[in-house]
This record gives sequence, structure tokens and C-alpha cells, in this order.
Amino acid sequence: MSQTTEEPLLSPELLARLERLEFVSRKIFRGKFKGERRSKRKGQSVEFADFRNYVVGDDLRFIDWNTYARLDRLFLKLFLEEEDLHFYCLVDTSRSMEFGEPTKLHFARQLAAALGFVGLIRADRVRIEPLGPDKPPSAPMLRGRSSLWRMLDYLNSFEAGEAQPLAASVKQFCLRNPGQGIVVLVSDLLDRGGYEEALRYLLARRMDVYVVQVLAQEEFDPELAGDLRLVDCEDQDVAEVTISAPLLKKYKQTLAAFLASVREFCHARGMVHLVANNQTPVDQLILSYLRQRGLVR
Amino acid sequence: MNEFAFRSALTGPQLAALALIPPAILALYFLKLKRQPLEVPSTYLWHKAIEDLHVNSLWQRLRQSLLLFLQLLIAALALLAAWNPTWLSHELRGERYVFLIDNSASMSAADLEPSRLEWSKQTAAQLIEQMRPGAAAMIVSFSNTARVEQQFTTNRNELLNRVAAIRPTSRPTNLREALLLAAGLANPGRTSTDAGDVQVADALPAEMFIFSDGHLPAVEGFSLGNLEPTFITTGSAAAKNVAISAFSVRRPERRASEIEVFARLHNHGLETAEASVELRLDGELIDASRMTIEPGESDGIVFPLTEMETGVLELRADSRDDLVADDRAWVAVNPPQPARVLLVTPGNDPLEYALTTGRANERAEVTLEPPPFLAGERYQAIANSDAYDLVIFDRCRPETMPRANTLFIGTTPVGGQWQQLESADVPVIIDTNSAHPLMNLIALGDVDIVEARPLEVPSGGQVLVESQAGPLVAIAPREGFEDAVIAFPLVDAEQVYTNWPLRLSFPVFVLNVLDYLGHSEDALEQGFVRPGQSLALRLSGAGEEIRVRDPGGDEVRVSRGNLGAFNFAATDQLGVYEIMADDISMGSFAVNLFDADESAIRLAEDPKLKIGFIDVAGQAAPQVARREIWWYLLLAALGVALVEWYIYNRRVYL
Repeated sequence: MSQTTEEPLLSPELLARLERLEFVSRKIFRGKFKGERRSKRKGQSVEFADFRNYVVGDDLRFIDWNTYARLDRLFLKLFLEEEDLHFYCLVDTSRSMEFGEPTKLHFARQLAAALGFVGLIRADRVRIEPLGPDKPPSAPMLRGRSSLWRMLDYLNSFEAGEAQPLAASVKQFCLRNPGQGIVVLVSDLLDRGGYEEALRYLLARRMDVYVVQVLAQEEFDPELAGDLRLVDCEDQDVAEVTISAPLLKKYKQTLAAFLASVREFCHARGMVHLVANNQTPVDQLILSYLRQRGLVR
Repeated sequence: MNEFAFRSALTGPQLAALALIPPAILALYFLKLKRQPLEVPSTYLWHKAIEDLHVNSLWQRLRQSLLLFLQLLIAALALLAAWNPTWLSHELRGERYVFLIDNSASMSAADLEPSRLEWSKQTAAQLIEQMRPGAAAMIVSFSNTARVEQQFTTNRNELLNRVAAIRPTSRPTNLREALLLAAGLANPGRTSTDAGDVQVADALPAEMFIFSDGHLPAVEGFSLGNLEPTFITTGSAAAKNVAISAFSVRRPERRASEIEVFARLHNHGLETAEASVELRLDGELIDASRMTIEPGESDGIVFPLTEMETGVLELRADSRDDLVADDRAWVAVNPPQPARVLLVTPGNDPLEYALTTGRANERAEVTLEPPPFLAGERYQAIANSDAYDLVIFDRCRPETMPRANTLFIGTTPVGGQWQQLESADVPVIIDTNSAHPLMNLIALGDVDIVEARPLEVPSGGQVLVESQAGPLVAIAPREGFEDAVIAFPLVDAEQVYTNWPLRLSFPVFVLNVLDYLGHSEDALEQGFVRPGQSLALRLSGAGEEIRVRDPGGDEVRVSRGNLGAFNFAATDQLGVYEIMADDISMGSFAVNLFDADESAIRLAEDPKLKIGFIDVAGQAAPQVARREIWWYLLLAALGVALVEWYIYNRRVYL
């Protein structure tokens, strides 16, 4: 919508600071390719893990011959396997993300780009998907620093538009991507159908889930006055309000209650919930808040 | 004493129409209420907030329509203002009121804006406004006479109209007549005390407000009775006034060809005043001067003039003072009107000589007839007409008295009123009534009388010369004329009765007779007329009707009265009145204020009225007038409108 005027998704300074980061997964997932992180599997690497007794059928190459010579028993030397990580970033592209200055969508794209970059440079597998379109274009699985520009181009193609409910989009994602990994959901969660079902789908895949709830400054502190007919941009639902101090107070209370309920839901299920204001700089969000929450280090 | 009342000038239907405004605002509000559409990311949270609020109370809804309520408040304030709520701090509680409003000359002073009379009228109107509904009031304006402007009525509008209609006059002030009018109902002349008495009117006590500047003579012998007086003084103690206190024309004795115009100015103020004085003849400036007068002092000025025949002299004294009525004065110089005198005598040389002096010739045209003339028919015709102003009967009597003033010498008028006593030898004059104009400048100390028959003077008469034997010269009225009698003959064929004709006082007496009884007036010696004074104009040669043109240009027709004179009383205006008969000018007369009491407009330190034995102290003004607060209401409405505008345009939430 206003991409031409918006700042680039990633600035060189931000890239420089992101270089030093890597994803931390609280769960250890089975990767597809050999990567840069330790695997739960014992495998071929230079890092010694353990010994165990030899059983018939084991690969003879891993028998510790020095021990056999000393103890006359066959032990198998186990090494830690190093694997890659699946990193998914789900960006809500419903119409409601179009609000704010900068728009929440732009903010979400920036965040996705930054996190994707972290993944790329650590040789993780990065997939960024828009949530919303009925039939989303197949998202490329990206790997390696060289994929950065592809990722950015792809992100720039995201546009807000007619969207199906959040839960349906997440369900489709889960069906398409059976693999485990880290998933970051960037959305305002303002879905009439509720956010719980969507998060449950992600949980069911036993993924490491981060929920970044993006809200515009206008949503935190609405600058409205007078007799208004509020029209929902997604379903054209109408709310007639006359702005008054108690109503604004009530709105803020409702918003706080809503955010608190999301946080509680997430914490109870081992998910990390983070509320982001679209005015917050992305680097601060990543380098400070997400680091504290343990997504990156 | 404080009370709140609505005093709207609007009628019921008008107020009802105004009362429709708030419902109209409500209707328009609901018709026009159009919420501005605004797209938001989600109404999800808003719905929840509204639901929570709706659960709350009616008050929330009221708050939502804050602007509506502010508009209604504005309309209500404006309506209330139209209703004219009035804070009456001093409501008159009584049942009956009498308002005596002074409209004498001094009340025209402009030391209060716009004048003392207007101020009094406004104050009286305020008091009338404060009267309780059902209370009655009476309006009396007074100067030297009183006039009932409005009898007792409860009709407030009528009272206000009548107060507004009171006009200033140039008259002096006298409260007595007004008090008598006011007391009419309050103090009935009789009261019934016994059961058998005829029922008379009950006394109706009344509160009486007297509006005056306090230059009132004390009212002696008057009892206020049931009247409760309040004296409201008007005017300031620093009022300035320089008044013309005298203005006359005279001929200097030595230089008969010249005349002198004499004027006297008095400074009634507290500061030295400068006055520029202008003398005008028939409207044209002929002389001017400048005078400086110390406070409380008088100063005279003389303008010498060469001979003038007729005309109107006007004096203007401009000193920028507060009262203009006494800044102008007039003298009307009329053509000489010699008296027509009939002398019936068998022969009287001294008297005939005295009547033919130069001065006497100027004043009188004398016709001489012998006594037998009295028996003729011509005398009858003359006696019944006003052909002569004065008839002198020397030692003879007519059968019927003429319609003219008379002087009898040695005899008495017919009709039995006058009697002569027995003859007295050599009566000695012991007193002369020098206050009477006939005896002006007359000393009889050197007069000897051989024989006289002293007089019995009819009732109402005045003795002019008294001797030890009785009155020798007297005068008495007769049906509008006057008869003077000298109790002794002057000369006879046989003897001389007195040496009076040889004395200086005799020709002077004859001139006095011509002046007083003959109404001859020197052209320059015109008496002045006070405002309000009634005149009996004796005009020979006029028909049955004359017209008098007052200074304002209006003409009044005056018919000849029973006694031959034209009685004219409409002398309220200051200035020159012209007398016309058949379109021929018969001369004019001037009305001047010349009243030190009215000119002294400065308010006394502690003004008070003395009515009978009671001193009524003056009050500056009634304590408080009503205070109308529609002004504040409109201001409040404006303030609310501003608040409404602010709330509408700014983000102000309740």
C-alpha cells in the first residue's frame, strides 16, 4: 500500500547487529540437513558425547579401539550430531494489519525480515509465510546468506487483503509444513473467531511458538472524538459510539484485559507472548525483548 | 424585603412560542444525529467496551448527549432571560401611594442627567414598578399649584404613562395645594364615631413620596395625618447657576431723551462665575458685556440706549450653568397708552393745572364736563361703556356709578357703602399709608386742612390718609373697579379748604392717580409678569375678543370678562406674549422667572421639608431599584455556548 514511502525492511546497521545473533530453541528438533546446531541425535561430528556397549549391528567405524585395547571390551564412541533448524515466520496479512504509521504489516515484515536474516546466516532453514490469503503462494524454503534478497523480495510482495480467519490460515500452514521448529506468529490477533484455536494448532505440532502481537499506537490510545460510527475494515461490522472519557477508559481496560488473556493463554501452554507497538524500532524489539524472551542470543 | 419576580414584556402566546424551542432542539438533535463513519482495524474491542458501558446506567447515556444538554441549557438560559427575572430589593409593601412630583422651574436644572424632573420621573417609575400587585397609587405634579395627573388606580401602566407625561413648568414652588390633594382620601374631613353618625369614608392611609429639590416654603398649619411622607431630594449640592434677577428699562430723570436698560445677575453657585451678557432688541444684538460674579453675590450692569419707541428687549446671560430658564429675560416696550380721564367739576383750577402738566399730558387725555352733564343721556351711555378709564367727580355725585375707576373729591360714591361723618375743623393728619401706590412718594406733613368730613370706609377698603378725626383719603373696591375718596374739597367758589395744591405732593398725587386708577403706564415702565400669574388686561379699543400669542407661537382666544377686562392666565411659558385684536397688535408683555428661590438650585446640605410641626428629612434616592438579571443570564448562555463550542471542537471528555 505505502511501500514506496516506507523505509527498507532492513537497514545495514541492523544487519550488522543481527550478524551476531542466533536462534535458541528450547526444544531440540530433528533437522533435515547437517547444520550448525547440536542435535539430539548422536552422530558424526567432532564433538564427543558418550560411550556405550557395542551391540551387534553397530557401525564398526565408531568402535573405540583404544578402549578395546585396554579393557578388552567393545565400546562404541558416540558423537553429537550437529543439525540445522526449521524457522518459520507467519505474517498476518489481514486488512487490519494495514493500520498505523508505519503500518502494522510493515512492522511485521521488518520483524520477519530481521529474524529471517538471523536464521539465514546460521544456516537454518527459513520459511516466511503470509497468513490470510485463501491460497497462499508457495513460500520458498530459504537457506544461507545468499537467500537474503530472495527473502526480502518475497516479503515485499506481501499485501494486506481479504483474509480467511486466523485459525483456518494457521491450520493450512500446519498441514503444509509437518516439520518441527521455531515458529514466530506476527499478528494483531484481532480476529473475531478468536486466536486460541490458531495457537492450539501450532502447539499440536509441538513447535517452539513465539507470538508477537503487533498493535498500532492508535489502538493503544485512540485519538477519537465526537459521535462516530466505527466500521470494521474486515467484516464491515459497525459500532456506534459517542466518545467520552468513561468509554475511552473502558476501551483501554478492555484492551488490557484482552492482552492479559492472550499472555495467560500463551504462558500456560509454554508459548512466548510479546506485545509490540508499531512505534517500537525493530532492532530494539529483537535485540532487547526477544533476547530476553530467549528467542535469540 | 428581597423578592424575585418575573417581569416579562412578552405576552403569553409569545412566551409559549419561546417555550417550544427546547423540544425543537431535541427533535432536531434526533433528526440530525448522524455519526461520522470511521474505519478502524477492528470493532472487536469497541463492542466489548460499549457493552460494558451499556450495562452501566442511564447516566452514561446522558453523558453521551452532553452537547445536546449544553444546547438545551443555552436555550433554557435564553428563555429565562426573555422571561426577565428581576431581583426586587425594595418592594413597596403598602396598599396606597401618593407620588408628589415637583415640576417647578428649578426642577428643569440639568445637574442630574437629563434633568431633575426626568430623574424624578424615572425614580418614581422605578418605585411604581416595585409596587405590589393590587396596590393603588396617585400621581400629583405640583409647582405653585398642584395638578392631579392620575387619581388612585392599580393600573401600573397608566401610572407609568402619567408619570412620563409630566412636563416641566416655569412656576415657583408651593407644596400646600399638593398636600391638600394628597390628604383628600387619607384624612377624611369627618369621621363617624357614634353609631348614629352617618357613615363617612374610612381613612385610607397612604405612603407619600415627595420628589423635589427642597426649595419649598414651610407648609404651616397642615397635619399629615395618615400620610407617611418620604422626601426624595433631587439635584446636587454643587449645582451652578447664574440667574438674571432683575431686568428693567427706565428713563433717567436728567436725560429724558435716553433710556437705560438695567440688569442684575446673581451667582447662586459655589464658585466664581463668568457670564457673557447679550442685549438684543427684537432679536438683533445691540450690546454685549462680560461679567464676573463672586459666589453668592449679585452684580448689576447698565446698558445706555438712545430713544426707542417700541420693541422687545431680550437679555441673555450665558455662563454654562445648570438652569437655563433664568438665563434669559425680556422686557416688552409698548407704545404709550394714555389714560382716558373724565373730570366732572364745577371748576377746580388747582386740579386742572395738575392735570395739564407735561407728565400728566403724557399719561392722560382729560375731558372736562360740568356737573349737569351727569344728568344727561350721554353720561348714561358713557357710564355703561368703558369709554373712560377714570372718572373724577369734584364736588358732585352721579346717580349711577360708571364702569370705570373713580376719584371723588368732597363727596362720596353713591350706593350707601361710603358714609361721611360730621364736619371736623382743622383735622390733623397723623398717618399716610405710603405702601399704597397712590401714596407713593407723598409726604403730607406740610399740608393743612381747614375743614373735612371724615370717612366711613366700606369693608375691603384701605385708609390712605388718617387724621385724628378719622380717615381723610381712602380707597375701596367696587365690582372690579376701585373708588378713591378725598374727604374734603380742594377749593370752593367761596373759600380754599386746604393748602395741599400748593405743595409738591399734590401734582405727584395726581400723577399717582393717573397711573394707578387710570392704568396709564409709561411706555417704559412695564411691570413684569411671573409665570403662572393671571392677568387682567384692560384694553381700550379692543373688541369683545382678543388673541394672545404665546412665546411658542400658539394663539389663545380670550373673551372680554364681565368686568371689562380680558382675563388671561396661560402665562406658563417664559418669554414675550403678544396681544392681538383684529390682527392689530395691541402690545405685548413679558413673562420672566425672576425668582430667587427657583434660581437657587443648589441642594441644601441637609434638605428637609417642614410640614406642620414635622420635619421630613430628605433622602438621596430610594434605597435600591429593581435589578434585572437577564443580562447575566445572557452572559451565562454565551459562556455555555463557548464551552459547547470548545467541547465540540476539542477533545474534552466527561
